[in-house]
Amino acid sequence: MSDFPSSKYARGKIFAKTGLKVGTNYATHYLKSLANGTNDKSALHKKSAEQVFGEFTKLRGTALKIAQSFSIDQGFLPEEFSEVMTQAQYKVPPINRSLVRSIIKRELGQYPEQLFMDFDTRAIAAASIGQVHKATLHDGTKVAVKIQYPGVRDTITSDIALARSLFKRLVSDGPQIDEYIDEVKNTLIHETNYIREGESIDRFHERFSSHEVVTPQWIPDLSTERVLTMTFIEGVHLDEFLNSSPDRESKNHYGQILWNFFHKQIYDHEEIHADTHPGNFLFTPDGKLGVIDFGCVKSFPEEFFMDYLRLLPTHLHRDEPAIKELYYRLGVLKADPDTDEKENQYYQFCMNFGYTFAMPYLEKSFDFGDPEYKKLIRGYTKNAPITNEPRGNKHFIYSTRVHLGLYHFLMKLGAKVDTEGSQKVVEDVLSDALNDE
Amino acid sequence: MKKETKLKIKIAEAATGRYIENRRFTIQSLAKELEITPKQIFDLFPNRSSILRYYYDSRILIYREQISSIKEYSTFTLSEKLNNIFLSLLDQFSEHREFVLLTYRDMVGSPVRSSAFEKLFKEALREIFQSDEQIATSAKILQNRFLYHAIYLQFHGLILFWKNDESHLYENSMALVDKWCALQEEIFYSKIVDKGFDLGKFLYYNSPINFTTSCALTAKRSEA
Repeated sequence: MSDFPSSKYARGKIFAKTGLKVGTNYATHYLKSLANGTNDKSALHKKSAEQVFGEFTKLRGTALKIAQSFSIDQGFLPEEFSEVMTQAQYKVPPINRSLVRSIIKRELGQYPEQLFMDFDTRAIAAASIGQVHKATLHDGTKVAVKIQYPGVRDTITSDIALARSLFKRLVSDGPQIDEYIDEVKNTLIHETNYIREGESIDRFHERFSSHEVVTPQWIPDLSTERVLTMTFIEGVHLDEFLNSSPDRESKNHYGQILWNFFHKQIYDHEEIHADTHPGNFLFTPDGKLGVIDFGCVKSFPEEFFMDYLRLLPTHLHRDEPAIKELYYRLGVLKADPDTDEKENQYYQFCMNFGYTFAMPYLEKSFDFGDPEYKKLIRGYTKNAPITNEPRGNKHFIYSTRVHLGLYHFLMKLGAKVDTEGSQKVVEDVLSDALNDE
Repeated sequence: MKKETKLKIKIAEAATGRYIENRRFTIQSLAKELEITPKQIFDLFPNRSSILRYYYDSRILIYREQISSIKEYSTFTLSEKLNNIFLSLLDQFSEHREFVLLTYRDMVGSPVRSSAFEKLFKEALREIFQSDEQIATSAKILQNRFLYHAIYLQFHGLILFWKNDESHLYENSMALVDKWCALQEEIFYSKIVDKGFDLGKFLYYNSPINFTTSCALTAKRSEA
């Protein structure tokens, strides 16, 4: 066996590693300059950053959502910051059982023991804006009942206002940060409308329910804007699945379904499940992938969506003129990287990260369990250039969350997936867009 | 629940609607609405006022009926049980909000006149506190009629808050109940005083600066 990197993937890793070094140096330089106070206002920014993340811990549920929205929980920040973010937010205490009964009575007109044959007052899951209970209808159908915490909408508005003022102390480009914050706020407010989520559940059930994917069915008669009832999906989450010591074949099986589910959404690109979080997927006993929680569903503008997809082939071919053009259009670059050193640092980092990100599309299959690839992705996300200047189109917030979430899920699962079909999906969607133009 | 009690509740609830339409409604009109005879009503209630007062008393009976249908009620914490009584009453009052806002102060909230509702409410509170095994030993001395009266007064305060609550389905009132009950639980479950007493007792018997103890120890040693 030769050590010479003969495959496209092996050669790609060399490019990616080199790029990572550049990124790490940049990040180290930036963080050092913050610590030494060599940059303008750097000490103030560092203090502000600490304050921002300290204050975030007070926001509880909303903080988790904001953290998720900016992919902070997926390693996009140095550990000292992300640790602050992840301390308390994932452990949202469930609301008390009497309050649950009363909310159901007020929203649905009767107490749970009257509405359901059986209702488990202990929540099976508690998240940022609501919690889920298991119940059985009088006809024996098992259902999941999602209950929104009282007053959560008002909390979002006030918490976002606080987050906005905190971010503005940290960043210099006020108007652009407003765009990002408004995007997150609008998405969060949409998430609090459970009728809207119920309609999304119906649409996704229509589109994706198959021999491989199982999605719940909405029960409108037992739903309001604040209580959502849907059919229950039996299954285990990623951690529990991994604890059962599954064989490689099972991991690949579920990984492939998730990968295909993601690319089928690209193919349709009407609506995308924008919360690729391990808690939103279930491994069912009959070998299907359960997709749950349709609160965060996004429809991206066509122009952005196509430009985002174009990033994949352009990075793989290292077509620099095309990459630069896309970066300008997507707001990643603000000036010519050939003449501006700071822009060049951004450009180098993004181009190398983009290439690493596109690597799964290089060959016919890709092993997300490859520890070296995990290290590379983690290296880029941890060493992302954190500056006080926001960059990129606001839609990156959720497109990156979906894509990066998918990679993190597959890396944790350690699945090897067939990527040939997905390359064709991307090519087809892009060529269709070209024909339409 | 007995058939007679159910009929009394039905009459009282119908009377709340009649009262809003006409405060001086007749028993005949109420009987007509319920398709029963006035005699059936007079067999159960002496007059119109007693029917309206019974509306309040019967809320506690309905609350008791509800808790018997909650499977896990015995596992509820103090906060959950207090939440349950408060929210159950608020849920029921919400169904007859207009009547409650018009009559609560006169029929239940009077600071000088005691009502059957008050007695039933305090009795329910006493049962909640006395059946809770997690309450700290030191906090048990607080469980007396003053505590139940204080909670009853807080319930009046909640009704006042609910009266002015403009949030969706009075969710701010729910939040107030939740926060208030959580605080009560913290106070009654806290073992700080128990632990402090335990430490004080230990020091009293073992500290060398305690004259009585040190004398006893010296005597014991010399005997040995």
